[in-house]
Amino acid sequence: MGSLAGQIEQSGVAIWIRESGVLYGYPLILFLHTLGLSTLAGLSSAINLRLLGFAPGIPLASLARLFTLMWSGFALTAVTGMLLFAADAVRHSSNPAFSVKLIFVLVAVIALALTRTHVFRLQSGGKVLAVLSLVSWFGALSAGRLMAYVAEFVL
Amino acid sequence: MNLAHLHLLLNHVPTIGLGIALALLVAALLKKSEDLKQAAFVGFFLLALLAIPAYLTGGAAQIALQGRTDVSREVVAAHQDAALLALIVMEVMGLLAWIALWRFRRWHETGILVLAIVTFGLVASAANIGGHIRHPEILLQGADAPVPGWPRTAAAGAAFVLDNPWVWPIAEVFHFVGLCLLFGVVLLVNLRLLGVIRGVPLADVTRLLPWAILGLGINIVTGMLFFLAAPEQYTQNSAFVWKIGLMLIAGVTLLYPTMWGANGASMPEDRAPLSGRIIAAGSICLWIGVIFLGRFLPFIGSE
Repeated sequence: MGSLAGQIEQSGVAIWIRESGVLYGYPLILFLHTLGLSTLAGLSSAINLRLLGFAPGIPLASLARLFTLMWSGFALTAVTGMLLFAADAVRHSSNPAFSVKLIFVLVAVIALALTRTHVFRLQSGGKVLAVLSLVSWFGALSAGRLMAYVAEFVL
Repeated sequence: MNLAHLHLLLNHVPTIGLGIALALLVAALLKKSEDLKQAAFVGFFLLALLAIPAYLTGGAAQIALQGRTDVSREVVAAHQDAALLALIVMEVMGLLAWIALWRFRRWHETGILVLAIVTFGLVASAANIGGHIRHPEILLQGADAPVPGWPRTAAAGAAFVLDNPWVWPIAEVFHFVGLCLLFGVVLLVNLRLLGVIRGVPLADVTRLLPWAILGLGINIVTGMLFFLAAPEQYTQNSAFVWKIGLMLIAGVTLLYPTMWGANGASMPEDRAPLSGRIIAAGSICLWIGVIFLGRFLPFIGSE
């Protein structure tokens, strides 16, 4: 297979993840992906709820330290996500749910960065960004979760 | 000891526990004691957690009894339906008790008292039917075990999931949404206890806790849908057993930040005392363990 996705899928790492059958292979990567995304989307959602006026007593400045943790979560999710993609590159690249998921993740991550650079500096506002972020995380989770079903029923 | 055996141990907890917690609440209301009232609410919350494994192990017991001619399948099914109804009301009661513990509001007392009495009735009848499964000695001589006309809750739940192909995927989506809500808020609150987040009163951070409870609620509901539809997939899986065990302990750790300040104590500005920091770190590890076991469930645990 000459396509880029096909080449990725035939790489040594991809074959190992897909076929080794060991618990520290595919299952561990899947768990780390979930851990990373729940840290990132979970903390981001909690901050969004604060921006929307729940728990108004929390000063935004006290939450600034969470960004290190959220970006770490993002890095973990991205790296493990690439590995999971590589293991099944041909199917994933032609799965519409996967493209939808990537777009939602992109919007959510941009919203998070803007929240840090604008809302946290001005110490106010951010309601629109918060709603955009919550909707995007929900969309990304849904599309990601439904990838397996779309692959089964549509492809 | 197998899960069916564990069911025999756990199935007495909701009935006896509810009786004790109910007596505590009545005594608290008569003596106007806030401490007793809190104890009763904690009891209701813990019972709502313990009712979950009581129900789940019942699924294992049911499978263990399959094919036996000396056990009436109708009585087992009626017991299961009554138990599911009791479980649902019990979880609502646990939620109300948690809200009362989180922010003391007076109207909850009457609501919880009424709901607890209703729940006790439901749990007692589920237990009564359950007793007939293997105890013919408690029936009148020669009589058959009565099969009460309960609504077929368990079968209806299973049919709802199995007959509609969209239910399982949608429930999976919401299981992840609930997980993110719960984990995000739990992480935030516990990082405050650990002193990673500073400069904010704990009382302000815990105002986010209902979102964690909402996430937990979503996951109990969606998780129960999975279990109702495919009980044998879970009762035969040791990873699932451990996952539920860790989840129950993790659920108890939610009480620590919930109840801080209830007795007038003030949390230090920077971080919780050592005991609180241990609970906070433990809570984060337990929830990560729940996620780990949930993710590994399809890969390990089933023979």
